[in-house]
Amino acid sequence: MIPCLFQDCLAKGCFLNGHINLSIDGKTVICPPGASVLEAAEENGIKIPTLCHHSGLEPFGACRLCLVEDENTGRLMASCVTPAAPDMAVLTASPRVIKHRRNIVRLMMAEHPESCIVCSKGNRCQLRRIAAQLGIGETGLYPMPNYKAYEQANPFMVRDLSKCVLCGKCIRADHELVVAGAIDYSHRGFESRPATVHELPLELSSCTFCGTCLSMCPTGALAPKNNMFVGTPDREIPTVCGFCGVGCSLSMGVFSDTVVEVNPSRGKNTVNGSTLCVRGHFAHDFLNVSQRLTRPLIRRDGQMSPASWDEALDTAATRFLAVQKESGPSSVAFLGSSKCTNEENYLFQKIARVLLKTNSVDNGGYLSGRSALAPLYKRTNGGDRVRSLAGLEKAEAIVVIGADVTETLPVVSYGLKRAAQKGTPLIVIDPRQTGLSAHASMRLPLKPQTDLELINGLSALLVRKKAQNAIFTDHFTKGFEAFKEALLKLDLEKTGRVTGVTPEALDEAAEYLRGKSVAFVVGGGVLEQRYAALTLDALFNLCLMTGSLGHAGAGLYVLAQENNQAGAWDMGTVPDALPGRQPLNDSLAREKFERAWQASISPDRGLDLIRMIEEAEKGNLKALYVMGENPLRALPQPDRVKRALEKLDFIVVQDILKTETTEIADVVLPGAAFSEKGGSFTNLEGRIQFFNPAVPPPGEAKPDWEILDLLARKMGSPRRFGSLERLRGEIAGLVPMYAGINEGSGAVWVVEASDKELFKNEGGARVSFAPVSSIEEEGQSDSYPLTVILGSVRFHLGSGTRTGYSGRVREFHQNGAVELSPQDWTAFGLQAGDSVKLTSAHGSVVRETAKNSALTQGLVFVPEAVHNNDARNLIGLFPLGQPDSPGWKTCPVRLEKL
Amino acid sequence: MEPKEIDWERLNLIIDKNKGEKWGLIPLLQEVQETFGYVPPESIDLIASALGLFPSQVQGVVTFYSGFALKPKGKYVLRVCQGTACYVKGGRSILRMMKKETGLEVNETSPDYQFTLETVACLGACFLAPTMMVNRAYFGKLSPAKVTSVLAQYKKDEVER
Ligand code: SF4
Ligand code: SF4
Ligand code: SF4
Ligand code: FES
Ligand code: FES
Repeated sequence: MIPCLFQDCLAKGCFLNGHINLSIDGKTVICPPGASVLEAAEENGIKIPTLCHHSGLEPFGACRLCLVEDENTGRLMASCVTPAAPDMAVLTASPRVIKHRRNIVRLMMAEHPESCIVCSKGNRCQLRRIAAQLGIGETGLYPMPNYKAYEQANPFMVRDLSKCVLCGKCIRADHELVVAGAIDYSHRGFESRPATVHELPLELSSCTFCGTCLSMCPTGALAPKNNMFVGTPDREIPTVCGFCGVGCSLSMGVFSDTVVEVNPSRGKNTVNGSTLCVRGHFAHDFLNVSQRLTRPLIRRDGQMSPASWDEALDTAATRFLAVQKESGPSSVAFLGSSKCTNEENYLFQKIARVLLKTNSVDNGGYLSGRSALAPLYKRTNGGDRVRSLAGLEKAEAIVVIGADVTETLPVVSYGLKRAAQKGTPLIVIDPRQTGLSAHASMRLPLKPQTDLELINGLSALLVRKKAQNAIFTDHFTKGFEAFKEALLKLDLEKTGRVTGVTPEALDEAAEYLRGKSVAFVVGGGVLEQRYAALTLDALFNLCLMTGSLGHAGAGLYVLAQENNQAGAWDMGTVPDALPGRQPLNDSLAREKFERAWQASISPDRGLDLIRMIEEAEKGNLKALYVMGENPLRALPQPDRVKRALEKLDFIVVQDILKTETTEIADVVLPGAAFSEKGGSFTNLEGRIQFFNPAVPPPGEAKPDWEILDLLARKMGSPRRFGSLERLRGEIAGLVPMYAGINEGSGAVWVVEASDKELFKNEGGARVSFAPVSSIEEEGQSDSYPLTVILGSVRFHLGSGTRTGYSGRVREFHQNGAVELSPQDWTAFGLQAGDSVKLTSAHGSVVRETAKNSALTQGLVFVPEAVHNNDARNLIGLFPLGQPDSPGWKTCPVRLEKL
Repeated sequence: MEPKEIDWERLNLIIDKNKGEKWGLIPLLQEVQETFGYVPPESIDLIASALGLFPSQVQGVVTFYSGFALKPKGKYVLRVCQGTACYVKGGRSILRMMKKETGLEVNETSPDYQFTLETVACLGACFLAPTMMVNRAYFGKLSPAKVTSVLAQYKKDEVER
């Protein structure tokens, strides 16, 4: 928009931006072209009651409450669907408007059931509020309650459609925002209602229990289900979801000191808009379970017993210092958390590095592919990291590779489905049919772990079609000719053989991408596989070749499973980098920190998460500090991990819940959940989001940064930070990427570390193509003829420690059935309800089975997180792939019918 | 009552004709309704995926228009008018008689799928009240005798076949 030049455009009309002048209630107002009368009014502080309007949805005009009167013609119009026009003059509360509005509300109330007075929506019901504003008590009409289905079989939502006013918000949210299509209007007239197909209960429909419809419902027709009375929120506090890497903005409804309800925040430009997923919306009930840790514990004579903070912290500090003194810095390790805040992770690694002189610091992000991403990060020199999800909806073409986003990161899937609905070509590369497949232009069903070959094949085809972006490669890259030669030499027949994708399908995919700048959405299927690092290199080559970098809606959208996976890395909770992802072996960087911290830092990388276990097994690691992680459940071969960690002399676990890991701890320190402390998380886009506590921590529990701050003092740090502001001040000074962290409220973006003009302007450093690598064709072994693919289900996050404590998620019975192809199902003579035992070289699981007609023969899908995450028994702890790529996505197994 | 067998081949043929065309939903449903006498609920998912719609949307359209039915209807749909004019002229007795003659309640279909009995609020032929329709044919100035003879026509038809 051109800035306004004249102040008198209010009187004369705007000729620069086409702004429209109109009169509302006798006041001249100005609004942008295309605005509705309602928007014009709202923008100018004039309130018009609405029921069916929502700024995130297309205008609909169902309820007619937003009536206004045209002063010139006397016509009554629904302002939400009436475009503002020049010289229009409307009245929003003329006697006629009020009369009609009252009648509409009276009719609605007459149709409402008596249960209105005990409705849990209470005074937050928009209908009731509007009725009150219009002074409607008794309707004076013959009551005709419209009794309809009451549904509450699922543990998440109650649907009492007798309270439905047919505003259609739920339906539109379901179609326009989350693109689930679970419900639509059914029937007509008095009978009409939002219904699932075949009027099935929600759990048998395509509903994902995202609850987006629920948060929009103006009445009590849709309400969260609670198993006991929890009270109606008396205040609402904005915060950030602590589950996945999307980092949705939430509004927590608090009653007394308990979080009783969660809705999407009403903030502007949030990552999630008005949507959420089932975890963010409903699984927060884990916050209030009795298994929360509420006081420090110390193991005495083998028994855990309550202790004071002083005692517990003293024990932790003394023991750690003693072990370190006796056996050297390599005998202690710190496992930080991809779930804790930036401030906490910063402090955590600082304690390890400064006070215990060890670089053996890591976090749970290792499990979701951090090590595979590190080389790529180096290759771009930290440039091109910030990537807003909103850009996906502007993409020219989208490739989703190894990302089952409808389950893992639902809010990302909404954007992808919306893009596909608008006609953006969407290619899904996945061995399994996923929730996105139905929305995709095409799916390339490749064999597991062959993504590398497929991407190279696709690049080769594009080169053969001369579809590279020569302008881009000329300006920003080096080594394209050699890369092109290597691609031209590629044997596409081998690509077909190895990947199992037909040449026709590959060609069709190449045609979709030809000449486009592409957004690649990369998920755990790539990041956690054994060729992860090589595949990322190949994908980045393809980005360079197609010029898919440097603008919104293009490039690698690398997904993050955990809420602060990115931030924990940024804050240096890793064995080979300092805060700001500054390499440990970079002496300039090190010196900067040494000066600031007044301590010497070793240039040698420490132990990563897996090597910590390895060293514990060998007896070299003696003390471990775990904050906000549950390695006994999250790591492969949990039994082996347990045995290894039991060998330690000393283990401190700081967490919010009783977990498998707290059970073996010597000291347990009760921390605070994300809703109980202040801090910041960095989401997968590179957006640093701040939040304040919504409620206090339970019992004696403390925010984790406070615990660390106290511990550091006990370990000999000269003074405490004492406040988040001071902590942030130090981070901002030392970590250029986080220069904005002083902001302390709302959100700021990560400042791209270096070469940030890389793909935006000429003159930045050029990026080289990585060599074209290839994988060997693998035969299946006879003893383990099937391939297991591990994957998530949307009700759980990660290993399911927190979501597994959610009463609602537990009640939503999931048997965690392993899925088999129809061919294997028949071959093994299975029947519904049969159980099987899957055995790999490392362990076994016993589960019920289900037939999945979309699964390729030879593949078995095993859902993670359920059954105490026993799926992890199947995979080996030590990396199969290259050092950077643990390869925990698939494994060979054999199957026995039980 | 025997559930109706669905001729899947025929159904798929109709669906294929409209594949990928969202706007083709109504003509498609009309053809299905005409061919099968109803829109089999089992067809909703197929229709939706062929047209790129949500199944719930297809169901919404089916249940909105009275011309579509999710339950099989009889070969002859008997619509007895209960509009004001017909009501005044004895439409209620006509309906009572129809129920007795066919042995059906309103909105019920005979086990042999011969008749479905329905009511309607005005057929737009009030001057002929009381009225009824059998499929697309109108019958006016009904009397008990006339009702019996109209019904006999359709029953006879059944015997012939
Ligand atoms: S259930 Fe709620 S949101 Fe949906 S149409 Fe009814 S009142 Fe509106
Ligand atoms: S909970 Fe989500 S998926 Fe289910 S009906 Fe509502 S909007 Fe649709
Ligand atoms: S779990 Fe992820 S997608 Fe779901 S609400 Fe939380 S941040 Fe959003
Ligand atoms: S808000 Fe305008 S019609 Fe409902
Ligand atoms: S009332 Fe029966 S035809 Fe009009």
